[in-house]
This record gives sequence, structure tokens and C-alpha cells, in this order.
Amino acid sequence: MRWRASRVVTLLGVAVLFPVVLSAQAPPRAIAFDTPNDAGGSITVTWPRVDGNGTTNHLVYVATAEAGPYNLAAEVKGKGAVLSDDPGNYGRGEEQDATHFVHVSDFTTADGRQPLDNDVTYFIRVAASKDGMEARGAITSAMAEANFINWAKTNNFVIGTALSLIILVSISLARRKEMFIRRIAGLEAIDEALGRATEMGKAVLFVHGLREMDKISTIAAVNILGQVARKTAQYDTLLKVASYDPVVMSVSQETVKEAYLEVGRPDAYNEDHIFVAGTDQFSYAAAVEGMMVRERPAAHIMMGYFYAESLLLAETGSQTGAIQIAGTDAFTQLPFFVTTCDYTLMGEELYAASAYLSREPRMLGSLKGQDIGKAFLIAALLFGSLLATAGMPFITHALAAH
Amino acid sequence: MFLTRTMPTLLAFLFGAVAVIIYYVPHTVAQEIERELSLWLRILYAFAYFLGLYSILNLHWNRISRREGGWAYSGVAIASFLVMSFFVVYNDGAGPFAPQATAGGYQWMFTYIHVACSSTMFSMLAFYIASAAYRTFRARSSDAAILLVAAIILMVGRVPVGRAISDFFPEAAAWLMEVPNLAAKRGIMLGVSLGAIATSLRIIFGIERSYLGGGEE
Amino acid sequence: MDLLNIDRRIIFVFVFVGVAIPLMLDFSFPIKPTEPVIRVFDEFERVAGEKDPVVLVSFSYGPSTEPEMQPMAMAILRHAFSRDIKVIAICLVADGPGLAEQALAQVGAEYGKEYGIDYAFLGYKPGLWAPIINMGQDFHNAWPRDARSTLISDVPVAANIRDLNDFDLVFDLASGDSIEFWWIPFGVEKYKFPFSAGCTAVMAPDLYPFLQSNQLRGMMGGLAGAAEYEHLIEIPGSATAGMRAQSVTHLIIVAFILLGNAAYFASRRKVTA
Repeated sequence: MRWRASRVVTLLGVAVLFPVVLSAQAPPRAIAFDTPNDAGGSITVTWPRVDGNGTTNHLVYVATAEAGPYNLAAEVKGKGAVLSDDPGNYGRGEEQDATHFVHVSDFTTADGRQPLDNDVTYFIRVAASKDGMEARGAITSAMAEANFINWAKTNNFVIGTALSLIILVSISLARRKEMFIRRIAGLEAIDEALGRATEMGKAVLFVHGLREMDKISTIAAVNILGQVARKTAQYDTLLKVASYDPVVMSVSQETVKEAYLEVGRPDAYNEDHIFVAGTDQFSYAAAVEGMMVRERPAAHIMMGYFYAESLLLAETGSQTGAIQIAGTDAFTQLPFFVTTCDYTLMGEELYAASAYLSREPRMLGSLKGQDIGKAFLIAALLFGSLLATAGMPFITHALAAH
Repeated sequence: MFLTRTMPTLLAFLFGAVAVIIYYVPHTVAQEIERELSLWLRILYAFAYFLGLYSILNLHWNRISRREGGWAYSGVAIASFLVMSFFVVYNDGAGPFAPQATAGGYQWMFTYIHVACSSTMFSMLAFYIASAAYRTFRARSSDAAILLVAAIILMVGRVPVGRAISDFFPEAAAWLMEVPNLAAKRGIMLGVSLGAIATSLRIIFGIERSYLGGGEE
Repeated sequence: MDLLNIDRRIIFVFVFVGVAIPLMLDFSFPIKPTEPVIRVFDEFERVAGEKDPVVLVSFSYGPSTEPEMQPMAMAILRHAFSRDIKVIAICLVADGPGLAEQALAQVGAEYGKEYGIDYAFLGYKPGLWAPIINMGQDFHNAWPRDARSTLISDVPVAANIRDLNDFDLVFDLASGDSIEFWWIPFGVEKYKFPFSAGCTAVMAPDLYPFLQSNQLRGMMGGLAGAAEYEHLIEIPGSATAGMRAQSVTHLIIVAFILLGNAAYFASRRKVTA
């Protein structure tokens, strides 16, 4: 009788539990390791990809001891990310496509969130959860560490170093041999503008945009200012420089003073002619426009990075009849200068300008190095696009930023 | 010479090299250095405001003392600065060490004078672009004609009236922005970035010293 | 009158009339949102579905661009507050705080939001991109106090923010360099957080490469972008009203351009003849 009862109970139990057993997920086989290429405090937990309609969630539990207690660290709903979603750290391939991952950097306890410490062993367990049933996998362990090198940026380092070497070698070569640079129309017009100002007995107004001294457009503008100052010193033409930034003003004063000294006209240098016109964009624009209308300089030279005030300055300047030469790498302001100025240097022509005017080897060599870099980029873009279209994206992957 | 040329060049090399190395080193030590450098940078920028303030006040004061043309406007500039400073310090009665009040004289002047005047200056662009566009958008050559057609499509397509006229305008405007504009901008960005790399290298290695003012090596 | 050289002042009068009259009348054109603006809307909708959503809004514009940017700021704040998204606001430009406080106070009052619980304003920090690097490492270290001098750990909405990755979205309202030269290279590329932005119309063409590479998840460009967003959130505001003036003025400018070209070709024919 008892035997029969136990059989009945067993059969009943199987009948009840059978659907439950069918619907429970297999416990995931998790692997944990230190997250690569980071400052530490993070462990990467991986488990095999779950196919289906994304109804399985995964819960990652962390403990400081193997016996527990295990605290919830991450909950990945549905399918989650796979390793190939982070190719910089984990690469690409079929295995990466077939492995889910999550970065664990803290876990929740009764005292709140606890970050992971470096060089401490943590015990991790991943559970698959579906329809209210949870299947817990085996315990694994890992330690977070701070990494010294970010290997994901290897391509960046190699390309950056190669370009840097090309530029430095070009500068070195330029010191030993003549380098060709094509004619830039806007720069030759500077001589014409300065001559016109000298003949009319009027001033030359130099405006170097709104950026700070550490920006390359401002450095290029100050280099051009140096060349312009040499010529105005030689021709005994009044030069006024309207600055926006006090540091740029100081550097401009030094540059102009040095230029006047080199030409042997230190007496002609007047510090008050290089000034800050305003430290607010439109106050600056209003001040410079006022100067243009009142003092009527014969030439306006606007070099640097400009914002919305570019059209205000250039249109006002064109109304006064001055000859205007502008140069900017501000992509969105180029149309305004092109339509209102006599000559416009576009983008890198501004950087080339200082090399063109001074003919200094370091500038010419630098330009040459940049041109080689550009040739490499053009080739990479062309071949990379063609190969990627043909299903061979290795150039695309080689140049990907991580 | 050492303080004005050599030391700044050495510092530029040191900090430039450190900044490049930090980019490739994720370790906490590198993160700490980066944090310190960025904090110093914030402090330097804050002090630069004092330099700018001195410069602008000095400029206007010189104009007033020499009675240069338009010196009365310099008087207005200095008076405006003093009045705004007073209300900042007064801070609606709370004094300069309390958090800045959201009402009071300073806020009033900011909203009804500074914002109004600044917006007005910016709005002048509408008039200037109209006169510049009329004067210069002429189909003198094939390039100018392409520029003209693109400008008209964008001007009409970027406002709701464009869609009211025809769906062609907004769709063509979107294509112009997403294809030729994007391509041109990306090309310029690549070139400008190379220029930035070259200039940065020249500064780090002391080849470029124009930022120190004056001549070369 | 020489149609080739119309006096500027006549053009200025037409532009003035083209802006002023439509603002006084009541008419509208249908607004259809463009894809970059829809992406911004979708990002906020995604954030609304997160647990305890919080967004960092950076006010990187000043008084000169207030007419263009403030409607944008109001629209995204209305969207955020209507979806119970908490907002922490900062300024990276010196003359932005006044405008940020006005927008937060006005929209916060509209939705009955409480300072400190639902939103907070942390004020301005100098240093251009340096505060972004600091925020990416340690948010409380970058902003130790809010604009009311309360310790950040005592501001409930910001107390648990450790770094930029704790935000569900970072949104920048920019009239200058902040998107392309600060937030993307020193923020998004270093710390990999979701980032979206609004900018002036003249800057919008600059940002399309970032939209394509998904470094920028959507963008509102100019007053037209703000009007499209108002349409999406179904709360018309000053941007929608501004579209009347902008539409008419654009047509006036196009008319002058066509007139100038007609006169140019007519004069060329005369010379050839």
C-alpha cells in the first residue's frame, strides 16, 4: 500500500513539476576576469549567448567570500550585449558573437552600493531567470586590477606615432632642402593691401578671432601678424590689432614689438595699438565695427577662428570700402567671408599661410608632413570604402577608435 | 632668457608629453595626474578673468584720460561695470558671500539690459545676411550658380513654409546637409586635425614658440 | 531704381517688416519634425523608461543666443519634467547661469517640481573642457556645491551621482565650441555616455558627422529645431511662433536674391546686345 502511495506521489510530483523542469533555463557557465584596459574596479563576467526571443534575464551576484552572502551586482534583461559589441577590448569573431558580457563595478548590500576594490578576490555567480524560475550557475572568481596600458588604443598609438614621425622628419628635411608650396592668392593680396594702406596714409586693422592662444588658428593668426607687422614697420604704416583675449593680446604685443625691432623700427612700436577690444563676443564685434566706421582703416585682415560676429565684421568692413582679407578654419563662417571679403583663406590655407609668408623650414616641413598624412588618409578612405563594400572591412576595423 | 624662453619650453614639453602618455595609460595614477592637471587648468582660467578685467578697464581708462575719439562710450563702459559690480556685491541685501540672489538689481540688469542688448546685436545678422546674400549670390559662374541653388533650397527647406510649398524643399535640404555638407565638413575636420597634430608636436618639441611672443629660436 | 544695387536700407526695411508683421498675426504652417530632432525626442523617451531617470543638462549659451536657445531649453525641460525625469543643470559658460535659472524656475513651477528633489542647478565652473574631465572621474569633486552653496551630497537629486556614466543622458545646449571641442572629445570619447545636443542654426551643419557616427544621439538645430521639438511634445511655444517670422523672412531674402539675379542677367543681355 505504502509502495503504491509513494509511486502515486512520485508520478503526481513529476506531472506537476515536468512543465516547470521544461521551462527552467540551464544554469549559465560564467567566466569572470579583470576588465581589460581600465583603471581597475571592474570585473567582466561572460556567459554563452542565449538564443530565443530574449525572455531570459541574467542576474549577476557578487560576494566577498565563496560561501556568500551573494549580492546582486547587475541585471541583464533580455539578450544583452555580446563581446563583439566591444571589439576594442574583446575583438571580433564567432566566439565573441556567441558570448554575452557585463562589466561589474559595484554590488548592492544592505549598506548601499559597494564598489569593487582592486586586488581583492570576488566570487561571482550568474543566474538565468525566466518565468519566475532561477537557475544558478557555478561559482567563479576574479580580481579587478588597474592596467598600465590601454591595448585597445594600439592602432591609435601606431598611427599617431607614424604621423608624428612623418611630420618631425619632414621638418628636419625642410631644413636641408627647399620645399615647394603652391601659391595662395589671399596671401599675395596682403602685400597689395598693405601697399594700399601706405599710399592712402591709413591704418591696417588686424583681427585675430575669438579663440584662445592655445588654438592652432590663433597661433597661425599670430604668425601672420608677425609677418604683417614686419611689413608695416618697413612701410611705416599704422597697424592696429584688436584682440578678444588678454593672453592673445599680450602675445600679439610681443610679436609686433619683436617684428618692429627686427626691422630696426623700435621707435614706431606703440603698445596701445594692440589692445583688447572686448571680452564678450558682440561687445567685441561692436567695438571693432565702431573702429572700422570711425577710423576707416584701408585694409582689414581677419585671421583666426570666428563665430557669428564674422558676418557683422566683414559686412561692416565691406561698407567702408576697405580691402578685406580673411582666413578661418571655422567651417560655418566661410560662406560669410567668401561673400563679403576680397580674398578668403579656407581651412588649412590659414595654417599654410604662416609657412607661405615666412618660408621657414619648420613651417614648410610641417605642411609637407601634413600633406603626407592626408595622402595616407585619402588612400585609407578610398581603399577602406571599396573593401568594406566588398565585405572585407579590415581597414575599417584597423582605423576604428576604441 | 631662461624664465621667458627656456623654462616655458621645458614646461610645454613636460606637460605635453604627460598628456599624451596619460591618454594611453588607464591606471589610477594617470587618472590622478589628469585630474590634477584639469583642476589647475580651471584655476588658471579663473585667474585669466582678472587679467581680462584689468586689460579692458585699462583700455577704457586710457581712452578717457587721453580724450580719444568716442571716449564717452568708455565712460559708459566703466560706469556700467561699476554699477553691475555694486549690485553683485549688494546681492539684494544678502552681501557678497551669500549665494547670488535670483531677484534684485543684478538680475534685473542682466535680463533687461544685458540679454536684450546681446540679443539685439546677434539679431543684426538677419539684416546683414539679407543684404550680403542679395549682393553676392549672383550666378556669375557655375560654382556660384550651384552655391545659389543650394542656398535657396536650404533657406526654403529649413522653415515650415518650405514643406507647405512642396515636400521637395525639406527633403532636398536634408540631403544637402546629410551628404555634401557632411562630406565637406568631415574632410575639413580631417585636415584641421592633422594641422592640430602638427602644431601640437611643434609646441611640445619646442619647434614652435610663437605662443611665447616675439621671434623664433 | 537700379535693381542691381538696391540700397541696403530698403532690404533692411523689408526684413524688419518680414519679421515684425508675422509675429503680430496668427497663422501657422505645418511643422514636420526632422530625423535629428526625432532622435533627441526618442532619447528622452528612452530615459523616461529607465529606473530613477536623471539627465544632465549643460547650458552652454549666453544672452546673445537667448532667443534661439531658450525655447529649446524650455522644450526639453518640459519634456523631461512631464515624464518625471530628474534634471541636474550646469553651466560651462560665464553668462549662462542667469538664463539657466530662469528656465529651470519657470518650467519647474509649471510642473510643480521641487528644487533639490526633482532638479538642481549647480552653477558655473570655468576651465572649458576641464570640468568635463573632472565630472567623468568624480562628479562631486567637480561640483562640490550647488548654486545655492548647499553641499552636493545634501542635494538629493545629485547625492548618488558618482560620475558622468551615472546619468541616463547628457544634453548640451550650445552656442559655441562646447559640443564639438569639449563634450565629444573629452566627454563622450573618454567616458562613453549617451549624449545629445541642441545648437544654434549656424552651428548645425558642423555637427552632422557626429550624428552619423552616433557620438551625438540627435540634435536640435536653431529655432526650427526647437519648433519641431515643441511639435513633438505637443506644447507650442515661442519657437513655433517664431517660425512664422522666420518663414516669411526667408522668403523675402530668396525673393531679393532672385531679383538680383534677374537684374544681373538682364544687364548682361543688354551688354551683349
